[in-house]
Amino acid sequence: MMSLLPLGELPALPLHEAGKYVAGAYVVLFLLVLIYVAIMAVRLGRVERELGELLELSSQRPAPPSDTLDLGRPPAAPVGAPSE
Amino acid sequence: MYGKGLRTLSISTAAVMAVALGMAFFYAPLEAEQGFLQKIFYVHVPLAIVALCGFVVGGLLAIQHLRTRDPRWDMRSYVTIHMSLIFAVGTLITGSIWAKGSWGHWWVWSEPTLVSFLIVFLLYATYQPLRFAIEDPERQARYASVFAITAGAFVPMNFIAVRLSTAYLHPRVLGSTSNLPPQMALTFLVSLLGIALLFATLCKYELTAKHARSQLRALRRRLAEQDAGVQTVRRARSAAPADYEQQRGGRSPATQPQRDPGRPSASPQPSLSTQSVGRPGA
Repeated sequence: MMSLLPLGELPALPLHEAGKYVAGAYVVLFLLVLIYVAIMAVRLGRVERELGELLELSSQRPAPPSDTLDLGRPPAAPVGAPSE
Repeated sequence: MYGKGLRTLSISTAAVMAVALGMAFFYAPLEAEQGFLQKIFYVHVPLAIVALCGFVVGGLLAIQHLRTRDPRWDMRSYVTIHMSLIFAVGTLITGSIWAKGSWGHWWVWSEPTLVSFLIVFLLYATYQPLRFAIEDPERQARYASVFAITAGAFVPMNFIAVRLSTAYLHPRVLGSTSNLPPQMALTFLVSLLGIALLFATLCKYELTAKHARSQLRALRRRLAEQDAGVQTVRRARSAAPADYEQQRGGRSPATQPQRDPGRPSASPQPSLSTQSVGRPGA
């Protein structure tokens, strides 16, 4: 019977029935953001772990000569590199 | 750097979203026909608008990539389309919930706006598999850009076609916003701003994370090269754009010739202090 009615002429739902739909829609948005933040947290953990591995690797290396890598210093920008 | 201004943007997004939520429930009046159910309008419609605009922006960024051949534009285009897809999922779910409450059905196939949005969504759902299917990073970026431009042009055409159609069951928003009561229109605009800021913030987070990973991989590669004198780090097949450094270097590790570690190479590797480890433009 419902499908025979023109969709635009359906009556408004009472508040107690509409509430669950409205809550559902807003919860969907909240969950999307929450899932995204959780994924970002996992990625951040991975980056942190990789960074720890690299720091460990660099600490195991012999002391570099003066013209090689210094991890404590920011690297020199190459000539002509576009800046972000 | 992509992380610049991220904190301010995040705080602004949270503030505007909170204001929009408060306005939707405590400021905007109840709509006469749909009553409380119409509150979904303030989340569903901004999500749809931002998702569609994101697809178009992804196409514009892809044009910039093809013009400049700079992989950073490809990365931006990829992230924008990726985020738009997530927002499109949100649009479809919230739209279905609204349809169920309003029309009694989760989905109405005779409604052109719904079906056209689904077509756009399914079109962009092929973007990631397309990227994944191409292993060579340069070719992947180029083909993905062509796809993004073509699909991006399809979005406004699709929008216009739907508006020209005669079946006007779905409520018109753009063009009829002026018919909304001022409180509703203001709430809608604040919600739209909040969702747009959320989109921008998440894109910036994604770009910053990808940039950080790219830098880490570059550092790991350099260290491995310095230790063994052999290219050991190979890129796993991925739908995401390759590392900046790898692409900007001109050759992917998979295509680089293997050198004999016992023999000095013809062109000696520069020391790390003379290379850019942390910058994408190395």
